[in-house]
Amino acid sequence: MIRAPLRADASVLENEAMGAANRRLRLLVPGFEGFEPGQFAMLSPGAVGGALRFDPLLPRPMAIYRASSGSAGAEVEILYKVSGRGTALLAQARPGEQIRFVGPLGRPFPDLRSDRVALLVGGGTGVASLYELAVRGARLRAGAVRVLLGAKSARDLMGHADFSSLAVAVDVSTEDGSLGERGLVTEPLARWLADEPASDVYACGPTAMMRAAAALALRFGRRCFVSLENPMACGFGVCLGCAAPRRDGGFALVCRDGPVFDATIVDWERLA
Amino acid sequence: MSVDTSVDLGGLRLRNPVLTASGTFGYGAEFAPFLDLRRLGGIVSKSLTLEPRSGNLPHRIAEAHAGMLNAIGLENVGVDAFIREKIPALAAEVVIVASVFGREIDEYAQACERLSESPRVAGLEVNASCPHVRSGGIEFGQNPQLLASLVRAVRRASAKPLLVKLSPNVTSIAEMAKVCEAEGADAISLINTLQALDVDLETRRPKLRNGLGGLSGPAILPVALRMVWQASRAVSIPVCGIGGIMTAEDAVKFLVCGATAVQVGTASYLNPAAAGEIADGMVDWASRRGVSRLADLIGTLQPWS
Repeated sequence: MIRAPLRADASVLENEAMGAANRRLRLLVPGFEGFEPGQFAMLSPGAVGGALRFDPLLPRPMAIYRASSGSAGAEVEILYKVSGRGTALLAQARPGEQIRFVGPLGRPFPDLRSDRVALLVGGGTGVASLYELAVRGARLRAGAVRVLLGAKSARDLMGHADFSSLAVAVDVSTEDGSLGERGLVTEPLARWLADEPASDVYACGPTAMMRAAAALALRFGRRCFVSLENPMACGFGVCLGCAAPRRDGGFALVCRDGPVFDATIVDWERLA
Repeated sequence: MSVDTSVDLGGLRLRNPVLTASGTFGYGAEFAPFLDLRRLGGIVSKSLTLEPRSGNLPHRIAEAHAGMLNAIGLENVGVDAFIREKIPALAAEVVIVASVFGREIDEYAQACERLSESPRVAGLEVNASCPHVRSGGIEFGQNPQLLASLVRAVRRASAKPLLVKLSPNVTSIAEMAKVCEAEGADAISLINTLQALDVDLETRRPKLRNGLGGLSGPAILPVALRMVWQASRAVSIPVCGIGGIMTAEDAVKFLVCGATAVQVGTASYLNPAAAGEIADGMVDWASRRGVSRLADLIGTLQPWS
């Protein structure tokens, strides 16, 4: 069920460093009633409260990692990496401070099919978009989901412990070989596509990774869903800043028509 | 105390002075989860062209210090789809101003004519920042003769309240305002975005695929106040102030500088309920100071003695 988005002044409960530049943010979001796998929220640190600040100006789109109901209300978790001015400001938000939250937004991953194995391929911060899908796969049946996580090194890897605590198989690839298999996450993907004829691909990560995953899925004749990332100002289809080129010519908005797309509609050549 | 918030913007009778700026508010319905549009003075649609347009290649936006650049490329559903699909999604009490765009004067005029046929369109706002094809891409709003021809043509095409949205990329905004008044515009809206450029130093390319873009956001507010002040002193038709409004205090400043109404733009991206909160905040501001009519604030900038 896709819920209407809400705008809330969320309170920071926790904002902890997770190694490398990775961080985990836990928010109290009044009125939040849940989300679907792959949906996201727009977060604006600094835009709420006594001393308003408008620099950096724009909210940042962040995948919703996990939601739960805590003692004080609905809680939402976000995994992020400090990579620019917006995330640097977000990293400074202390418990008790407020952050504007708009979400859940976007079209989620399609439901997992009971007759297929879902290969969840996550790279970098992209793993955050896949966690709820893995949770639902674990509930569906044993072996419904196989998770392939990739990162530059063990230190950069996000969410590994959380995924590993689910009843799903988790394979790890690191580019430097510091954990799991050495190399890109698309290498084990190619093997699983060959071994598992009844499989679909659900991918989120750097564009190069998703492009490669989409090409592999196409070669094996499998369905592939990707969650794209693009700079956006609003998150709900009005700024038109996040346009991604479609194979049939026009554009799709990552925020409104995605972020999850069937990989075959994306024009991977023209995608920035 | 109760505050009279109503204003008359060139024949548009608004319940309060807060509208939404064209291009930042979609077609209105996108904001339904966040904001009751009936709380606003009105909404101004995304600029509409006779035929649908699909816009520029990415990258279309880039963040700047306290602002953003955009070059969306006029992506819109077109006049007919707006009338057929977008207007019916809005409650009857929502005041709709249709923004109009064209590459030729005739396109503007035809679009205005079509939109005027809809009883739900309360007024038109002509976006004069479009590059004119036959004049080698110069914006209508940058040349007084072109601007005069444009306003004359759209004035003939429609009897609805007619606003002309001016480009700030001119030497004398007062001169452009006078041209609009002389050709029969009912009000002027300003400012549109400031022409701008930013660079990706890794590639040394412009951050936007289009090269140049328009700067919006709080960074441009003082420029907008200055131009609203200059324009409102030059003409007797009302001015709708636009540019970087983030808070109710920002909006009040525009009234003080001579604006009859304001449009909230980029703020709606950060906070989809911003326009409604600003409308409410203006009432609080006035109430706390014993101002019983918001219209009493218009043009009250005090000179240093």
